[in-house]
Amino acid sequence: MTNELSSLVVIFTEFYYWVTVVFMFLIHVGFCMYEVGASRYKSHMHTLMKNTMLIPLVTITFFFFGWWIYFAFVNGPWIIGPLVSAPHATPWSELMGAHMGGLATQDALTVDDTAFWARINGVFWAAFLLFSWTAASIVSGSVIERIRPSAFWILAVLIGSVCWIIDAAWGWSWNGWMVQKLGYHDAYASGVIHAIAGGFALGVLVVLGPRIGKFRADGTPRDIHPHNPWLVTIGLFLIYTGFWGFYVACNIPIIDVYGGDMLDVADKSYFSATNIYLQPTTLSAITLNFLMSLSGGLMAAYIVSNGDAFWTYSGGLAGVIGASAGNDLYHPIQAMLIGAFVVVIIYKLHFWVERRFKIDDAVGAVAVHGYAGFLGVVIAGFMLWGYPSSPFEGYAPITPWGQFLGAIIMFFVLGFVPAWIMSKILNSMGMLRIPREIEMVGLDINLEDQREADARDLREAIRGET
Amino acid sequence: MATGMVDNWVNVDAFGPIYPFVGTEVLLTFLGLAFWIIWHIWQIKEESAEFAKDLEGINKKGGVGNILDSESKRETSDMTGG
Repeated sequence: MTNELSSLVVIFTEFYYWVTVVFMFLIHVGFCMYEVGASRYKSHMHTLMKNTMLIPLVTITFFFFGWWIYFAFVNGPWIIGPLVSAPHATPWSELMGAHMGGLATQDALTVDDTAFWARINGVFWAAFLLFSWTAASIVSGSVIERIRPSAFWILAVLIGSVCWIIDAAWGWSWNGWMVQKLGYHDAYASGVIHAIAGGFALGVLVVLGPRIGKFRADGTPRDIHPHNPWLVTIGLFLIYTGFWGFYVACNIPIIDVYGGDMLDVADKSYFSATNIYLQPTTLSAITLNFLMSLSGGLMAAYIVSNGDAFWTYSGGLAGVIGASAGNDLYHPIQAMLIGAFVVVIIYKLHFWVERRFKIDDAVGAVAVHGYAGFLGVVIAGFMLWGYPSSPFEGYAPITPWGQFLGAIIMFFVLGFVPAWIMSKILNSMGMLRIPREIEMVGLDINLEDQREADARDLREAIRGET
Repeated sequence: MATGMVDNWVNVDAFGPIYPFVGTEVLLTFLGLAFWIIWHIWQIKEESAEFAKDLEGINKKGGVGNILDSESKRETSDMTGG
């Protein structure tokens, strides 16, 4: 930190990720509003607290082991190699606290590495952590009004600090084994956040079952309308807003793409933003594609849902998610068309799965995130067929089969399966679902009683004054 | 008495960790993990007690049916601002 220009690059990078974290906080604000709006009056407070308390629980566990997993599990481990040493990411590392970067106290770190991680570790950790919150929050909406909060928080830690970060190590890291061997490309996390979270939600829902009253005796579904559609729509707008931070956080802001042993070209420098795979891209490119895929999704959802506000807003989100895997490279019109196509498919699929398998996904999270993310990864395999997956030599190129296998790993292997197993365990211990009578009258029954008693008390006091 | 390794800012370019009690990181990790696990255990117990209390309250009010009768009226009133 003694050279003005190199210090500026480091401090700009530090500030860049910090800003993305602030933006991404809005995703969680949006999810909380959305969930409360979608839930019924009688379960509002518990719904809100269920989502809110995942913040501290995922945060501390991501500190304890999530961050280490990201660096340590890039080889599987034992799929293509052993565990990788990650001394800067252990919870006992000095670099996980306030550090000036001056002394390399741990043997595995060079002086340069120490100086770098001293500045970047916290903000980079936080950017990944906010993705963890998002993954857990996606699941939260689908299970409202019948899951025990204690069970949900265990599941939230599982997806937020274990499953998703394993998939990030495998497929959303410059040296992950899926990138090396499958040519997996998922620049803005269609699969690594959305497909896995949707798959995870489905795994929980299969065991948890539908809300009481959701299905008639003949098996046809009833509509349980959002309690407050305005809160739902504002919540989704906030998620859109936070999504900007999410997109920007997926980039590395400034790097010499001829440096760091990436491209073996002597005496050349080219400074650019890159995606997480260290491939050059621009904020302009992803801004164009974000807005065009959002628009494609909104337009298709409006048509297919006959102007239903809930599905139109959700369709905008699904449009972005469907194009995200390749939004670093797509043409904007391609992004728009992919967004629109994905929305038509996931809308139809949601209602087909609901009728056929009696899956009660209260907010459509499995469709909007899971199916859209899955499709987004697969479509990128065809659209970007033959592109290099990395600037490094020897990595597999992007292919439809590599992407398809990657989508299966995200949705089923790391999403559905762990959720199903953990839900089965919790269910067998009677810890997954709230008691039937409480579900019928609402989780807030005691709060309601207290509110009525307080109102009565106040009324009597006012009468006494007159 | 000093809790940290910083006693001046003259040599800041050579400083490593600047938080107090450097060297206790492993102990802090164990304390943090214990706090996390104990929180879950405590919360599960509290939740079970809350549900037991809820079920008792439902019975006192004459069962689920009685409570549900007033629910739709309240929900509609809240949605319409009535």
